[in-house]
Amino acid sequence: MLKTILPTIMLIPLAWLSKNNMLWINSTMYSLAISITCLPLMNLSCDNSLNMSLLFFSDSLSTPLLLLTVWLLPLMIMASQHHLSKEPDSQKKLYITMMVLLQTFLIMTFSATELIMFYILFEATLVPTLIMITRWGGQTERLNAGIYFLFYTLAGSLPLLVALVYTQASVGSLNLLLIQYWNHPSIQVWGSSALWLAYMMAFMVKMPLYGLHLWLPKAHVEAPIAGSMVLAAILLKLGGYGMLRITVMLNPITNFMTYPFLMLSLWGMIMTSSICLRQTDLKSLIAYSSVSHMALVIMAIMIQSPWSFMGATALMIAHGLTSSMLFCLANSNYERTHSRTMILARGLQMILPLMAAWWLLASLMNLALPPSINLIGELFVTTAMFSWSNLSIILLGINIIITALYSLYMLITTQRGKYTYHIHNIKPSFTRENTLMMLHLTPLLLLMVKPQIILGTLY
Amino acid sequence: MAPGLLGLCARRLLAAAATRGRLAAPVRWESSSARAVIAPPAAAGKREPEPTVRWQEDPEPEDENLYEKNPDSHGYDKNPVLDVWNMRVVFFFGVSIVLVFGTTFMAYMPDYRMHEWARREAERLIKYREANGLPIMESNCFDPSKIRLPDED
Repeated sequence: MLKTILPTIMLIPLAWLSKNNMLWINSTMYSLAISITCLPLMNLSCDNSLNMSLLFFSDSLSTPLLLLTVWLLPLMIMASQHHLSKEPDSQKKLYITMMVLLQTFLIMTFSATELIMFYILFEATLVPTLIMITRWGGQTERLNAGIYFLFYTLAGSLPLLVALVYTQASVGSLNLLLIQYWNHPSIQVWGSSALWLAYMMAFMVKMPLYGLHLWLPKAHVEAPIAGSMVLAAILLKLGGYGMLRITVMLNPITNFMTYPFLMLSLWGMIMTSSICLRQTDLKSLIAYSSVSHMALVIMAIMIQSPWSFMGATALMIAHGLTSSMLFCLANSNYERTHSRTMILARGLQMILPLMAAWWLLASLMNLALPPSINLIGELFVTTAMFSWSNLSIILLGINIIITALYSLYMLITTQRGKYTYHIHNIKPSFTRENTLMMLHLTPLLLLMVKPQIILGTLY
Repeated sequence: MAPGLLGLCARRLLAAAATRGRLAAPVRWESSSARAVIAPPAAAGKREPEPTVRWQEDPEPEDENLYEKNPDSHGYDKNPVLDVWNMRVVFFFGVSIVLVFGTTFMAYMPDYRMHEWARREAERLIKYREANGLPIMESNCFDPSKIRLPDED
C-alpha cells in the first residue's frame, strides 16, 4: 500500500513547490500515475484477502473502492481547474492539498486492517471535506451545510468509538480478519442491541439512511464540484464499506435489529425518488437520487444474503461513477449560467450536442439501463429483497419506475425542448469537460464486460 | 385633415430616420393645430448611449471567455501552450496509460479469485465420485469423526 500512500502524500509538496503555471499539469499528471499503482491490487489470485502488512490489507471488497478513490482524484483536479482559475495561487495549492489529504485518508481507510485505524481515518476524512465545503462553496448556505455535515456524522460516529473501544477491551483485538471468528455469547441482552446500534449508526448517517439524510442535500449542493464529486462517489460508500465489514461480527443480533432500518430504507428510497421529481435545483436532484440509491445499498447489507452483498458492492461502484459524472455535468451547466436551476438552461441539445450525449449516457446509467453495472447492482438487490420478503417487490418496483422517471425528467428538462433565448451566449464545451465525462464513463462501460471485479467478496 | 397630414409628415420623417438611422430633418417643425413637434434629436450626430440596464442573460463581465483570446482553447488554461500541454498530459496519462494498460491488465488477469480453478476442481471431483459410486455431495463439510467436542459441562 505504501506504493500508493507515499506518492499520494508527496502530491502535497508537489502542489506547493510546483511553478505556478505548471501546478495543474503536474498534479493531474502525477495523480493519474498514482491511479495506476493501485491496479495490481486487483490481481487477486485466491478468494481471500491480500494481507500486505499488519496495518494494510486489500480484498475484493476494498479494492474496487480503492480504485474508484484513486481514479477520482485526477478527475476532481480537472473539474476544479475552471472555478479556481481566478483565485490566488496559494489558494489553489491549498485546495489541491485538501483534495490530496482527503485522498490519502480515504486510501488508508479502505485498506485498514485494524478497526480503530479505520475509525480514525473515517473521522479524519470529515475535516478536508468540511474545509472544502465551507471555504470554497458558492453560496452563503455553505456554512449551514458544513455544520449539518460535520455534526450529523460526528454524532453518529461517537457511539462507534465507544463500541470499538469496548470490543477491543472485551475481545482483545479489532483486526478485521480476526473478529470474523469472534464467538458471540448466545444470550442477548439489551446491551447487545445497544452495541449493534452503536456500531451501525455511524454508517447509517454516512450512507445516508432516509431519516438521517438531511445533511446530504445541503452538503452536496453547497460543496464545490470536487467536494460534490468526492462526497457522492466515495464518502457515501465509506458507510457501506463499514457496514459490510462490521456486520460480519454482529451476527445473531442483526436478525432482529435490522427491521427498522429496512423499513426506513424501503420507504425512504421511494420518498427521496419522489422528491427528485419535484426538484428545481439540479444538484439537489442528483443529491436526492444518491440517497435513493444508497437506500438500496443499505437494504442489501441489512438482509445479509450473498446476492445482496454482491449487489451492494456493484451498486456502490456504479453509483460512485454515475453520480460523480452527473455532478460534473451539472457543474458544466453551472459554470455557464451561474445558476443551478434546471429550467434556466434547457434545450441544451441544440447548443451543446456532445454534452447532450454525455447527459444521455449518464442519465441512462442512472436509471440502471441494462447491461450497465447499475442494473446488475439493482437487480441483485431487488432479487435478494424479493427472496427476503415477497411484498417488498412492490416498493422496489415503484422505486425503479420513479428512478427512471426522474432521470429522464432531468435529461429532458436540461437537454430537450426549445432552448431559452437567454442562453445564446454560453460557451461551447471545452475539451476538459468532454475528457472529464469520458473518463467517468469509460470505466462504467468497461465494467459492463467484466463485472466480476466489482461483485465483492462473495462472487 | 391636419392630423392626417401630420401623420403623413411624421411617417415620412420616420421612414427617413429608419433608413438613415437618424432624423433627416434638420429643422424643427411645430404643428399649428395640434401640439405635435417634430424636432431633430438633441443627440443627432452622437452615438446612442450604452444601455445602463444589465440584463441577466448578458455574460457577466467577470466571466472570462477562454475562446476569445484563444479560439483553440481546451479549457484548461489561458496560456495556449500550457493549455495544450495539459490536454496532452491528461490524454496520455489518463487514456493511454491508465485506461489502456489498466484494461489490458484486468482483461488478462489470471484466474480472478480462482473461479476457473474451482470449476475444473468441481468437475474433477464429480468425475471421481461418479466413477467410484460415492455421492456427489455430502451435507457434512468436515468429517464428523474427526471433530472432537468438549465434554458436556
